[in-house]
Amino acid sequence: MPVILIYRKQKLEVEGTLTVREALQQLGLSPESHLIVRKGELLNDNDVLRNGEEVKVISAISGGAL
Amino acid sequence: MTTIRCHKCHQRAVIRMRQHRLALCKDHYPQWFIEQTQRFIEKYQMFTPQDRILVAVSGGKDSLALWDVLWQLGYDAEGFYINLGIDGEKLYSDQSEQAAQKFADERHLKLHIYRVEEQRGESVPAIALRTHRGRQKPCAVCGLIKRHTMNQMARQLGFNVLATAHNLDDEVSFLFGNLLSWNLRQIPRQSPVLEAEEGFIRKVKPFIRFSERETAAYSIVRGIEYIEDECPFAEGSKQLQYKELLNRLEEQQPGVKLRFLLGFFNAMQQGFIQPIEDEQGEVILSPCPSCGQPTSTGGLCATCRLFEEDHR
Repeated sequence: MPVILIYRKQKLEVEGTLTVREALQQLGLSPESHLIVRKGELLNDNDVLRNGEEVKVISAISGGAL
Repeated sequence: MTTIRCHKCHQRAVIRMRQHRLALCKDHYPQWFIEQTQRFIEKYQMFTPQDRILVAVSGGKDSLALWDVLWQLGYDAEGFYINLGIDGEKLYSDQSEQAAQKFADERHLKLHIYRVEEQRGESVPAIALRTHRGRQKPCAVCGLIKRHTMNQMARQLGFNVLATAHNLDDEVSFLFGNLLSWNLRQIPRQSPVLEAEEGFIRKVKPFIRFSERETAAYSIVRGIEYIEDECPFAEGSKQLQYKELLNRLEEQQPGVKLRFLLGFFNAMQQGFIQPIEDEQGEVILSPCPSCGQPTSTGGLCATCRLFEEDHR
């Protein structure tokens, strides 16, 4: 079973074992504008995601006029 | 892969900031973030504990984080939320208002609310549609009404500083966009502090040196419940495209966004970039006959013109 990443209410999958940075890059998401949270806990770039677990991807970027 | 450890206590880090060559744990990150905010407030002489600060809050991560930090630093800071009447699929404005109110209630803070539909008789998207402003998007009208209302209400409520949570990504994408179109009138106006002028409140941006990644990380670590959804009208905006592009560059060149902005401020400070004088000389401001706010039009201000009879 792959790693499940919930992103904008969609379920995305990547094959573990891989780091947060690698997972975001595989999904084409910039690690400079996305964070990953596991059970409410913020993960760093090098934290490892393993097959079978579910994490949430948070987009840090928002729009709006100055 | 090596575990990233906090540079202060060697616990597991929750964030690594490559541009600062710094990694911090869940305890030291918020502490660092708050200290940095205070440093920026002092460096740019934004305000002191004697000032009354109105924080513009949207219910999103940046503005709630800003209010949280100012509260923790002990400043006299109240919140101001403008309900724009944007519904989308999920009553976006109402949900954002609820998030802001919940945040305020939990900390026993005062939130002032201005509902555009109640005050003006129609929502921001409806005003944009009626006045044919923007191309299927109310963003220009939204910006105009927000700036007008924030200035008016901050002064009416007796505050002397308006704090907004504009961050590094907002500022570099704005500067980048202005450079792409050589908007030479707008470029020199960008600054961490906009001084008070006759009729205009002092405006400050304490988060100007934090990336959105850093403000989001602060909100997550602090357990702040913010609205994650984007404004339904923001999708596909130029500003989001510039942010995406600049973040791709940041991946390859850590610190490039901060260097871009600080280099600009440095050039401004040294006088290499000068405000453009109008051909007629200094702009003369006079009070709008309808709302009393300063305007250079000589008649109704741009916001009041939206509600003129011939627009109805």
